[in-house]
Amino acid sequence: MGKETILKTLRHEKTDEVAWVPFTGVHAAFMKGYTATEILTDGDKLFDALMNVHKLYTPDGMPIVFDLQIEAEILGCKLMWSDENPPSVVKHPLRKTKEIPCKCQIPKKTDGRIPMIMEVCERVKKAVGDDTALYGLLCGPVTLASHLRGTDFFMDIISDPTYTEELVAFCAEVNIALAKYYVEAGMDVIAVVDPIISQISPSAIEAHFLSSFQAIFDEIRNMGVLSCLFVCGDATNQMDVMARSRADGISIDENVNIVEAKKITDQYNVTICGNIPLTTVMLFGNQLDNMKYVVDMLDGIDHHNLVISPGCDMPFKIPVDNTIACVQAIKHTDESREMVKNHETAGSLMDIELPDYQALTKPFVELFTLDADTCAACTYMVNAVKDVKEIMGNDFDMAEYKYNIKEDIARTQKMGVQHLPSIYINGEVRWSSIIPPREELIAAIKELM
Amino acid sequence: MSKITELAVVVEEGRIDDVVAAVEAALEEGNAPMDILNAGLIDPINVLGEKFRLGEVYVPELLISSKAMKMGVDRIKPLLAAGDVKVLGKAVFCTVEGDMHDIGKNLVVLLLESAGFEVIDLGMDVEPDDIVEAIQENDDVQILGMSAMLTTTMYAMKETIEALEEAGLRDRVKVLIGGAPVNQIFADQIGADGYTTNAPSAVELCKKLVVA
Repeated sequence: MGKETILKTLRHEKTDEVAWVPFTGVHAAFMKGYTATEILTDGDKLFDALMNVHKLYTPDGMPIVFDLQIEAEILGCKLMWSDENPPSVVKHPLRKTKEIPCKCQIPKKTDGRIPMIMEVCERVKKAVGDDTALYGLLCGPVTLASHLRGTDFFMDIISDPTYTEELVAFCAEVNIALAKYYVEAGMDVIAVVDPIISQISPSAIEAHFLSSFQAIFDEIRNMGVLSCLFVCGDATNQMDVMARSRADGISIDENVNIVEAKKITDQYNVTICGNIPLTTVMLFGNQLDNMKYVVDMLDGIDHHNLVISPGCDMPFKIPVDNTIACVQAIKHTDESREMVKNHETAGSLMDIELPDYQALTKPFVELFTLDADTCAACTYMVNAVKDVKEIMGNDFDMAEYKYNIKEDIARTQKMGVQHLPSIYINGEVRWSSIIPPREELIAAIKELM
Repeated sequence: MSKITELAVVVEEGRIDDVVAAVEAALEEGNAPMDILNAGLIDPINVLGEKFRLGEVYVPELLISSKAMKMGVDRIKPLLAAGDVKVLGKAVFCTVEGDMHDIGKNLVVLLLESAGFEVIDLGMDVEPDDIVEAIQENDDVQILGMSAMLTTTMYAMKETIEALEEAGLRDRVKVLIGGAPVNQIFADQIGADGYTTNAPSAVELCKKLVVA
């Protein structure tokens, strides 16, 4: 894992490989069987979920929390919580009054969920901070202003721009305060996440809000860490003004053509981050779709000043193996390109004979992997079975099939394996993309003895 | 410049403090209320809708101009003769269960109303059963529009379509969906009749759906 790769990329230095940052917000909860609310409010569960992300997705950089309502909650917004999403703002304190909140309301580090996030950040820093860059995410000043004011904020931009400038400037001070706390806790990169700026004209951003963004990113630079500006939606027309925000990197989602956007960010020597499609590819695609998408993306774009990441906060239920395929494609692009090619031709390669599972004399554990030498999740899964093999000896047979060997691809396809890595016992799928605890694995094998 | 043209400029520029006075000036000039409605209030919104589609204006401009238009319509409405305003169709709109993101839905509702549709706005976080009930209670509704911002709530659209089928109402309404995570593929998968990427094109689609 390459924290240094992230830092170098955001410093616009040459790197040997492309950096990878999975935006595992509430998806980290899904991976461990928690709800979104649990990891956003319980530090132990959040830490547990983040360690699992680190293990399975081998990130160069990872966010501690992806929740744009942390500041809003402290500033008096009422939230509606959800099992599979970050909370939503349902009541806006400035809906009926055009006030600028008092500076005394700027969050202190003891307010709201800030202490929990700082504590988890410190724990993650100790555990994996040497090899992984930690991202502290802030709700950007424009989105935070809209949380406080509600939909009228959009109309204020036209009817009372001075008010919106002042409100956004206040929110920028909130950003700077939180950035200080997060840097103190060990964050390496501060990301200002401002999804709604894609809905505002570049000229309005320039006239009313650009100076606030520049103030935030100047302050973050003074704190000695790196920065990113995240946007969601079709921000094609906003790329130029965003590139002048003085952020070290800009993160975009699939609504923006990354090749074209990079031409703009390159003019300003800003790093671009993105933009694996969240729904069509990561959520609804299969493993090969994800691998192919990332390989094609890497083949079509200059790797300097580039971070590969999902388009935005990953949906809760993205199949874990889809992300694993993305990791494989980023970290082992040549092998993945071969896998994609072989997958397309393997069906006609040979007629693989499957074991007669009904006639087995002892349990047969089969591991279908991408390649345990290069895919961390596969390595953990293979080692889990090998550990049990050492304990149980000849009580069961085992075999590993790798997706970079043509015969094994044909076998994987014939078995109808949907997700890699997977463990099958006696021809039946038992675990997909989940590393089973030793006791569970032993019990499953013993059941069939 | 005629007072109607001046009104159209006021609406297009979203000058909500000036719109009522501009309507009154157009009336004083002797213009027919119906002409003021069409040329002074609705036409500029159509122009703005096209500019939105081309990326020349954004959500703030569209929202405030729609608000200006609505204020103008409220002023002119009592002066219109019964039957003057042709209702193009009737629609029910909402964000689906669990989804509290309504900016897009609100925009579509505003533009639809300005285009001549009658819209029952059920608001945010509306359960499938409540949507079905609204359609049952209004037997002249032709369109159901649902919006979702989240990948988790978008499935409530499918549940709602299934609930419509169970209630025997599916053939009575055309279902239109929109929102960040959905696309045409998803619309096809769940059996929706239409999908669009933005508010002005949603209005165009509604116009097509009611004559289809």
